[in-house]
Amino acid sequence: MNPGDMMEAVAVKPATRVTETRRSYESSLSARGEPFLWGFGGALAFGVLLVVGFLVLVTWNGITTFWPKPIHVVTLISGDLVAGEPTRSEPFKVGPERMASLSEAAKAKIANDGGFAHRVLLRTGNFDLYNDDFRWVEDYKIEKTEKPVGMFFIERQEWGAFVGGIKALSKDGATIAGEELSLDLLHKEHQAARRRFDAIHDIEKGAIGDVNYEMNQERLKIRKAVLKYGDNAPEVRVVEAEVEREASALRGRFDALAAKAQEIKGEDAKVQVVLNDINGTEKTMPLSLIVRFYPANELSGLDKIGIYLSRWGEFLVDDPREANTEGGVLPAIFGTFAMTLLMVLVVAPFGVVTALYLREYAKQGKLVSVVRISVNNLAGVPSIVYGVFGLGFFAYIVGGGIDALFYPERLPNPTFGTGGLLWAALTLALLTVPVVIVATEEALAAVPKSMREGSLACGASKWQTIRNIVLPRAMPGIMTGLILAMARGAGEVAPLMLVGVVKLAPELPIDGFWPFVHLERSFMHLGFHIFDVGFQSRNSEAGKPMVFVTTLLLIALIAVMNATAVVIRNRLKRKFMVGHF
Amino acid sequence: MKKTTALAAALLVGVSFTTQANAQALTVDPAIAPYKKVSGVSGSLKSIGSDTLNNLMTLWAEGYNAMYPNVKIEIEGKGSSTAPPALIAGTSQFGPMSRPMKAKEIEDFEKKNGYKPSAIRSAVDALAVFVHKDNPIQCLSLQQVDAIFSKTRKGGAPKQAATWGDAGLTGDWANKPVSLYGRNSASGTYGYFKEEALFNGDYSDSVKEQPGSSAVVQGVASDKYAIGYSGVGYKTADVRTVPISKKPGEKCYDANAENAYSGNYPIARFLYVYLNKNPNQAMEPLRGEFVRYVFSKEGQTVVLKDGFFPVTSAIAHEDLAKLGLK
Repeated sequence: MNPGDMMEAVAVKPATRVTETRRSYESSLSARGEPFLWGFGGALAFGVLLVVGFLVLVTWNGITTFWPKPIHVVTLISGDLVAGEPTRSEPFKVGPERMASLSEAAKAKIANDGGFAHRVLLRTGNFDLYNDDFRWVEDYKIEKTEKPVGMFFIERQEWGAFVGGIKALSKDGATIAGEELSLDLLHKEHQAARRRFDAIHDIEKGAIGDVNYEMNQERLKIRKAVLKYGDNAPEVRVVEAEVEREASALRGRFDALAAKAQEIKGEDAKVQVVLNDINGTEKTMPLSLIVRFYPANELSGLDKIGIYLSRWGEFLVDDPREANTEGGVLPAIFGTFAMTLLMVLVVAPFGVVTALYLREYAKQGKLVSVVRISVNNLAGVPSIVYGVFGLGFFAYIVGGGIDALFYPERLPNPTFGTGGLLWAALTLALLTVPVVIVATEEALAAVPKSMREGSLACGASKWQTIRNIVLPRAMPGIMTGLILAMARGAGEVAPLMLVGVVKLAPELPIDGFWPFVHLERSFMHLGFHIFDVGFQSRNSEAGKPMVFVTTLLLIALIAVMNATAVVIRNRLKRKFMVGHF
Repeated sequence: MKKTTALAAALLVGVSFTTQANAQALTVDPAIAPYKKVSGVSGSLKSIGSDTLNNLMTLWAEGYNAMYPNVKIEIEGKGSSTAPPALIAGTSQFGPMSRPMKAKEIEDFEKKNGYKPSAIRSAVDALAVFVHKDNPIQCLSLQQVDAIFSKTRKGGAPKQAATWGDAGLTGDWANKPVSLYGRNSASGTYGYFKEEALFNGDYSDSVKEQPGSSAVVQGVASDKYAIGYSGVGYKTADVRTVPISKKPGEKCYDANAENAYSGNYPIARFLYVYLNKNPNQAMEPLRGEFVRYVFSKEGQTVVLKDGFFPVTSAIAHEDLAKLGLK
């Protein structure tokens, strides 16, 4: 008999007894624990439902965001034309003041539907032309809706999307329009234009960036010399002369680069594209400032997949633009990842060492109990309190001290004396250390006493026992604690807003300049990005899809980090199982 | 109301402004010249302050960065009240604020530096009162706004407006309670609205305080009986702005550029950027050029892009002259 059958037998047996002796039904119901089973099962189901519902909502909204939608051209009864991507629609009750201006037929139709009408939100784009990029259109105002060919959805470097047609392309003074302006030609020219754009970007951000960095370092040398030798010391003059030599070389490099960028720019300005909106208003702009364009109503399935993937690609590897509402989130991904990793590096040794002392060395008594209670209480302190502490203690006191000692030449601009990657990681480490301590203590407690005693009896010292016997066996438990801490830390935003997360960080914390990892730099974070785009962007309607995509990404990032930790833990477990025959 | 008149007067000086009504896109005052690039600008800047101006500062930073590829600009925007301490401590070079500095803040600054902070009037904002797009309300006087948002009613309204009926709506709407959305107290918008629309009274306890201007608009968009206030730049298709009149019975004006410039719209304001400038020294090019950029055609086009209204050339010239940048 296998265990499953046995369980069935146990389950069936009381049931048959109930049918035999009905009088004991009520008491036996609770005695068998049946209601509790349903209660617990129900609670679990409810919990799972909430989590699954949340994940499905985020995933669905996140996944569908980048899928290209068709463009509807709506002819209104008034004769106006509106073009845009339908975003969402809703029924609504038509108020009396709106009713008054309607035709009899429309009134009758609305009355027939119980006073309700339908409206659809069109993403009309063209913010530079309309001062508006979304518009509600009520169905009683619509004469007809079409999906005509030749309507393009054009994503631009600035001003958001443009919805309309591509009228002409002017290249080196010649204008290409009408039949000659094929989609293939446009794509070809666009690719060339984007290459120029990337080249300019590479020179300006990359090469010129390096020159500027070095120039700044040179300037700081003078400040440093002044601080060291005094204002008019001869040493300062020496340094100044040296810096001047270096700086003039750098200026030469800068001028050469700037000239090169200017040359490409001049070439780029010769290729202009003329766009026209649905009402014929024209807009001329350089072709290179178009990120992506596609004829929205003429796409095949394959085209759509291509656009979808290219949008994801842009999102994952590009810098944000237009105040974070468009473009990518690479700096935020990077910041989140670096900060979480740094936090784990700090929290793991601290948490484990504390727990080891509490469990293995300390004499169990009142003091240890108090410490333990304090640690548990720490886990309940609101995270924003940690943020305030991090800002006050780490950034202002410790960081201010470091600045005064090591970076006096940069003052009053703070280096470590303001929020930054290091302080954020330390603050979060503080926030998550109770989780690690508690988990490690549990794991240590679970190692059988007999093993310790066996080891000690063989002549091993206490530390040898801990290192070779206790720690390896407790490792999976410790890893679980770290995983929990990591998940908590990566998702935390409130304290970070005080200690180093910014809306726009100009540089990544890791780059090619000594010392390569710049722990003092402020950084971007996916969690804060969600808050920022969701609650601070100009157009919350346009920001909404970005919020979902970023949320999806953050969840995915945490899942990946957790999965990695789980894999490591399982390896350790297996290792331990092998050693334990 | 003194401030509003000052704003109107300042804007009317030498203005030859043609703004067409709504549907047409606004343009920057043609007298404002395009930006001219200079050489030798590099370094890093940090801006800490208003969240209303957060996006605008970011867009300016992006634009300035395109001119000078390796100027580094960092932006933090957690509320106007965070600007003065950061300027005083020297942790930021720019302090964007959606309200003028208070006397206390100026005093603190002066104590540290020995001179007063300088400010530029970088853009114009009409503080809009938003309602849900289905709300039929056509006009509110400041007194009514006060009766809706305040518990002290210093505007002189006889009773608190708790339902939309109290605010003048009839039919289905008359007995629906008004749901209030507002900003948190670190915000300059909060302070300005309190001063101008609440006549320095206190906010009602039922105002749902939101962490950002955009959050106010989203709140109003999702709540049919809601009313809220924030910068007009944050308007979406889901909400509409209510025209406001100065006194009960007067003509109501909508929150658009024309009415903000003429001073007819009673709660229009300047958006400021404060900076630390020693009056005895010329401003270094890094910051000076940024200010010039803000007051250039490109910089003011960015203002339009963010949904606010550009300043006139008269203001731009005046503020540039004040900083010795002419």
